[in-house]
Amino acid sequence: MGDFVTNEPRAARPLGAAARNGGDAATAGEYALRVFSLSKTFGATRALQNVSIDVRAGEIHALMGQNGSGKSTVIKCLAGYHQPDGGDSAELDGESFNIGHAVPDGLRFVHQDLGLVLELSAQDNLALHGGFAKGFGGRVLWREQEKETHRMLERFEVHIDIHQPLAAATPVERTVVAIAAALQGWHGGGGLLVLDEPTAVLPHDEVERLFAVVEEVRNAGTAILYVSHRMDEIFELADRVTILRGGKLVATKDIAEIDPRALAGLMVGEDVDPDYRAPVAGKPEAPVVLETRNVAGRWLRGVDLQIHKGEILGIAGLAGAGVLELPYVLTGHAPRGDKVTGELRLPQESSEWRDITEADKLNIPLVPADRQREGVIFEFAVSENLSLSILDRLGRRGKLGKREEAKAVEEWSDRLEIKAESPGALISTLSGGNQQKVLVARCLVSEPDILVLCEPTAGVDIGTRVSIYDLIARLAREGLTVIVSSSDEGDLLAMCTRVVVLRNGRVAQELDGDGLSQQALVSAIEGEN
Amino acid sequence: MTTGSSGGALTTTPPQAGRAPTGGPPLAKRLAGAMAFDKVGAVYVWIAIVIVFSVWVPETFPTLDTAKQILNTNAITGLAALAITIPLAARVFDLSFAYVMTLCGVIVAELMVGGMALVPALLVGLGAGLLIGLINAVVVVVARIDSFIGTLATGSLIQALITMVTDDTTVSGVELSGGFAEIGQTDIAGITLPVIYCALVAVAIWYLLEHTATGRRLYATGFNPDASRLAGVPVNKLRFVSLLISGGLAGAAGIVLASTLGSGSPTAGTPYLLPAFAAVFLGATQLKNGRFNAGGTIIAVLLLGTGTTGLALAAAPQWSQAMFVGIVLIAALAVTSIQRRATVRGRGSGVHGGGVAGTDQPGVGTSTPVTTED
Repeated sequence: MGDFVTNEPRAARPLGAAARNGGDAATAGEYALRVFSLSKTFGATRALQNVSIDVRAGEIHALMGQNGSGKSTVIKCLAGYHQPDGGDSAELDGESFNIGHAVPDGLRFVHQDLGLVLELSAQDNLALHGGFAKGFGGRVLWREQEKETHRMLERFEVHIDIHQPLAAATPVERTVVAIAAALQGWHGGGGLLVLDEPTAVLPHDEVERLFAVVEEVRNAGTAILYVSHRMDEIFELADRVTILRGGKLVATKDIAEIDPRALAGLMVGEDVDPDYRAPVAGKPEAPVVLETRNVAGRWLRGVDLQIHKGEILGIAGLAGAGVLELPYVLTGHAPRGDKVTGELRLPQESSEWRDITEADKLNIPLVPADRQREGVIFEFAVSENLSLSILDRLGRRGKLGKREEAKAVEEWSDRLEIKAESPGALISTLSGGNQQKVLVARCLVSEPDILVLCEPTAGVDIGTRVSIYDLIARLAREGLTVIVSSSDEGDLLAMCTRVVVLRNGRVAQELDGDGLSQQALVSAIEGEN
Repeated sequence: MTTGSSGGALTTTPPQAGRAPTGGPPLAKRLAGAMAFDKVGAVYVWIAIVIVFSVWVPETFPTLDTAKQILNTNAITGLAALAITIPLAARVFDLSFAYVMTLCGVIVAELMVGGMALVPALLVGLGAGLLIGLINAVVVVVARIDSFIGTLATGSLIQALITMVTDDTTVSGVELSGGFAEIGQTDIAGITLPVIYCALVAVAIWYLLEHTATGRRLYATGFNPDASRLAGVPVNKLRFVSLLISGGLAGAAGIVLASTLGSGSPTAGTPYLLPAFAAVFLGATQLKNGRFNAGGTIIAVLLLGTGTTGLALAAAPQWSQAMFVGIVLIAALAVTSIQRRATVRGRGSGVHGGGVAGTDQPGVGTSTPVTTED
């Protein structure tokens, strides 16, 4: 059992209130984890600047911030993936350690991807983390191992076949197995469990089950650092919250003394007015340039859209609603093997409906969600990355026109204010925001009428973010039609003329971008009417 | 030469700085850049090797005859290495190329001995190479079998077929001594024709990879197929065609080899498997900073060929040649990897850490976004 020196009476929080049962054995200090002025730089990006975090023993401490605020970098430093540039001193349960060089035994992690091997069973996954029960000559004692596995999972009331591959388990069961794996050999009494966005992949109705598990861990005396950007979860679960913005510490607050609006204000900050709107004008009277009919896929269950010229249409919704899938389907880039149906047409060009799987033959470029994996070619220079989409047009008779290429690259670098040492510099030397601009330029250089963006500001710092909003708004004013899909409400609020909210793969609601408030958007996304 | 990230916007520094592929820097600067150790380190090592052997065996090594000998004996290795350069640029392995060499040599020899005229026999031989390339492409691109395993399997099948048909005996006969022998044995001032073929193929591949849209797309496909696909690059088509090309080129190399040997040996191609891959990977560390390229491949073939020839002339023990190849490869890849890490240090992406050796998986950290959260 941990001690709870800093108990705050918290009323009427369904789970949190029940958790206050500790109070004995004041062996550990007041704090489970203390981090003193942690800093980390990636190339030109200052990911973290003097961030200090105190997690009290036995509390559920939320770490919040928008995309690019540095949450993940904090976790990766703590887990030893990154070495901090400065300020690597920290304490766990009063014992000091150096961040990035050592990970104390009491510091346990469940990363967002859970770190499980889905082809293996729960038993094997647990053993991969904690080691097998071995007998003479390295022989695995399977019966022992089985008993141990059952013991670990029973604690969290998970009843799955421990010999089945985890792929067969539900998402929440997998998350719990990951938590059990992380906590192996640690049976409460101090320590800290880091949960990095554990609900990101969970369906809404399974979140409560995860919360019960989190409470169980805390009741055993282990503090929890809970990373999320979901407000509702934080208010239901956490005792205190630390807010990061642009790699800096904004504040650490008791949940009791803050309301969602104030918290949102702290996350978004003053650099970006939460009510910031890029100057756009909705044009419902403009002609329809893209129309879809009954688009369905892995998540989508029949989406009809009508998009007008010069519009910036936002696509919003929870994970699993199809928000991430729609941009790929619209541009003809659905994952191989996914069955995609539906039709689309460009009424300006032809009134004929075409199968949506042929969309890749239209000039509708996509700025993909995962810049590192699907966007940037790191071994290529800035210029080579930018010109990739128009190689056909450069030069004559098969010879690549390097001069024409340089001209196009210069023009678009100029228009998008891309900051690079030279066009020949490797793109990996650019900041995240500038890499993103290169990808936008790669799409625009083919002079499309319609552009689709997916998570346009993921991993982009706040300042660059505003310049991306303004850029897209400017392009829309010049007649470009833009579709933006984002899990970051800020993106949608800042630039969309209209937002379509998806729920369970269908259009559930349509909101006018003009005067749209964050609350209205969030409650539409969450489905609270 | 730094690739640091500070500095003004592109607009303030038009493309005169650096070794931009798009820019036109002054000649002197460009020359200095082109001769930098991190680009052509192997050339300096090569010069050092020449000096060492010139001192070690001064009577036989530093002569024109030795130079010609190095060229003549390594031309086939060069052709073989060039054959796999294009698929490797797209990160596709073609391990079957050595068996294709054997196959095409044997086929042409069999047909000639059987009484067919030279040109039709050559065409059938080349066709066989292309056919194997087509089969490889179907296995790798259509059936989506990993290219390393897929071409290993087809290579094994080809060898089985060769042994079955030839009964493991060399095909020979007087028919192979006329026009067929001239393909590989004719020499001009001591330089045999295969050297010329090798040079021509190298120039063609250099042009393709450096100066055409297809070349750029091949590299893009190799570096990041997902991103390339989203940017409209026909990734699968390029992989398919690259295997066709390697099949055809390997077939041609095999025919030339059979001509120089004057017979169709059922194991002629196998000895070229490892030297060709060694040369291509070593070549990728040269000139183009991690990209498989024709010039680098040629430099590597010459470097390795000079070393082994020198060792033979110095009457060093047999094993020393294999040891030399191994040491040069590891040293070159290690130096490149260290340099690359120093250049992009701190980016945290780790994408460059793997160097060219990590052909299928670029590096450890690719799936770890630098600052991305979601």
